[in-house]
Amino acid sequence: MKEWQTFVRKFSDMKEGKRELFIKDLSPGKTKYNTKHVLAKVSKSKKTLKNPDILWVRGESGEKAPDPWYLTIEQELEEFVPGKPWEDVLEAVEKKERSRGVGGT
Amino acid sequence: MAFKDHRDFFEVLERENELARVKKEVDWDGEAGAISRKTFEHEGPALLFEKIKGYPEGYRISNGTSGTWSRVALSMMLPKNTPVRKIYKEYEERIDIKIPPKIVKKANAPCKENILLGKKVDLNEFPAPMVHEGDGGRYIGTWDVVVNKDPETNWTNWGMYRFMVHTKNWLTGWPQSTSQLAFIMKKSYLPYNKPMPIAVVIGTDPLSHIVATAGIKTFEDEADHAGGLRGEPVDLVKCETSDLLVPAHAEIVIEGELMPDQIAPDGPFGEYPGYRSGTMCAGVAVKVKAITYRSKPIVTMIALGTPPDDSSIAASLTAAVAMKKGLLRHGVPVTDVYVPPEGVTHLIVIGVTKGGAETARKVLDYFTLRRVMTNKHIIVDADVDVFNMAEVLHCFATRCHPGRGILYEWYEGRANSLTPFYSPEERKKLKGVSIAFDSTWPPEWEKEIVPIKASFKTIFTKETIDKVNRNWESYGIKI
Repeated sequence: MKEWQTFVRKFSDMKEGKRELFIKDLSPGKTKYNTKHVLAKVSKSKKTLKNPDILWVRGESGEKAPDPWYLTIEQELEEFVPGKPWEDVLEAVEKKERSRGVGGT
Repeated sequence: MAFKDHRDFFEVLERENELARVKKEVDWDGEAGAISRKTFEHEGPALLFEKIKGYPEGYRISNGTSGTWSRVALSMMLPKNTPVRKIYKEYEERIDIKIPPKIVKKANAPCKENILLGKKVDLNEFPAPMVHEGDGGRYIGTWDVVVNKDPETNWTNWGMYRFMVHTKNWLTGWPQSTSQLAFIMKKSYLPYNKPMPIAVVIGTDPLSHIVATAGIKTFEDEADHAGGLRGEPVDLVKCETSDLLVPAHAEIVIEGELMPDQIAPDGPFGEYPGYRSGTMCAGVAVKVKAITYRSKPIVTMIALGTPPDDSSIAASLTAAVAMKKGLLRHGVPVTDVYVPPEGVTHLIVIGVTKGGAETARKVLDYFTLRRVMTNKHIIVDADVDVFNMAEVLHCFATRCHPGRGILYEWYEGRANSLTPFYSPEERKKLKGVSIAFDSTWPPEWEKEIVPIKASFKTIFTKETIDKVNRNWESYGIKI
């Protein structure tokens, strides 16, 4: 099972459902921590997803949530989201989610 | 003669017992950062990690080359035991001298020994450290010099800003939105939706890195001041993909474009105030177009955190001298300014010849008019040695009136969002508050009512002091 990591402001910001996320690859090697921008199904339980990967969640200070989440990547997106420098990336992603009609529940 | 590059500085550090070469294989993923942090916290030597897990022989990481006053003194070609006051004085004298850089040909630029362009660009080929566990990614730019240019005025800015590997050919970073880099982006690129060329320079001569931390005035090229500080020009060479000029002897130069309409996550990162606070996902994205580098490149790192480290030491020097000059221009009768490294540029000590409420107000005005990186300012009389924190604390404890000696000022849009005590909302709005502790005797007090400091130097007559000093050995007291 491959492992990924994502950052949120607060742990409670992490929601289940179809999500647009920036995730970090935790596989060992030179490309560890490289980022992917994806559309994925995210759940607290691995039972609800088909062939899920593990998703670790960290808060804005880098604190790691004690329990993992799970995700199945559905689509890889570009390396960035539209936005102006110094804008909040997480808010820009939320905006994109709304425009795609996805987002957490 | 000044140091030309990062490598020849190592020779002097080694000779002066200021360098440890770590020959055992070390993991870039947390281990190099942890070793460096522990070394900083024991005021240990600069480090050169010579074998990095998963990377070719010769690819190295360095840490802490300016992490103590001794090493800053050596970088300025001063003896390693030079007192801090003397280092400040020397820097203050040299930093106003401008020596323009020398432009060299590509063939004479070691940073062009290897060139990766376009699709060959891969940031993963360099041992960028995962500095602290839980950081947002691998920070290849910590002890760096970031170069950008204003096309309207030809002003070239150098600054030290963090940059993280996002993918093989994208960096994300966090030059503060109030920085000079941001000023140029907002002035000359964003209004036209144009990408801004930048270069992240890793591992050049030690004084160019120190100048990159300095608050040099807007529209003045740091390269000229680096020349003044070094006593000879910095060699610069043109980038492969833009007209930016970069230090020719650098270890690695990452050339890219800061995008005006695309963003991606940066951070969080354990930063210079000594915390990993909530500064993330509010930075910039850079598409990398080329990487040029010396053979057997060295990635320079600061395992930033609680002081001391390169940041708290270098900023102590560069910020204090800039503040002293600024306060003098603002009409404050300053004797000296000291930025204690332990206060991570949040706490400033200002010595004045005339104190009181009016001076305290002027000090606070100066520090809060533009972008605000500081928040606590202790103003002391000229009899207090600002470099002696024991004297400063005694003065603060005994002369600052809690009722009338404390002034504060709130502001919005220009605070330092890295300041750990600000709430998430305050950080987002750049809302902050600064305070001045007037620890001076009120100037309106008659001389005869001012308490006399009961110290050896101040409460005895000159005759008694001279007599005691003259006879000291005969008393049989060892101090």
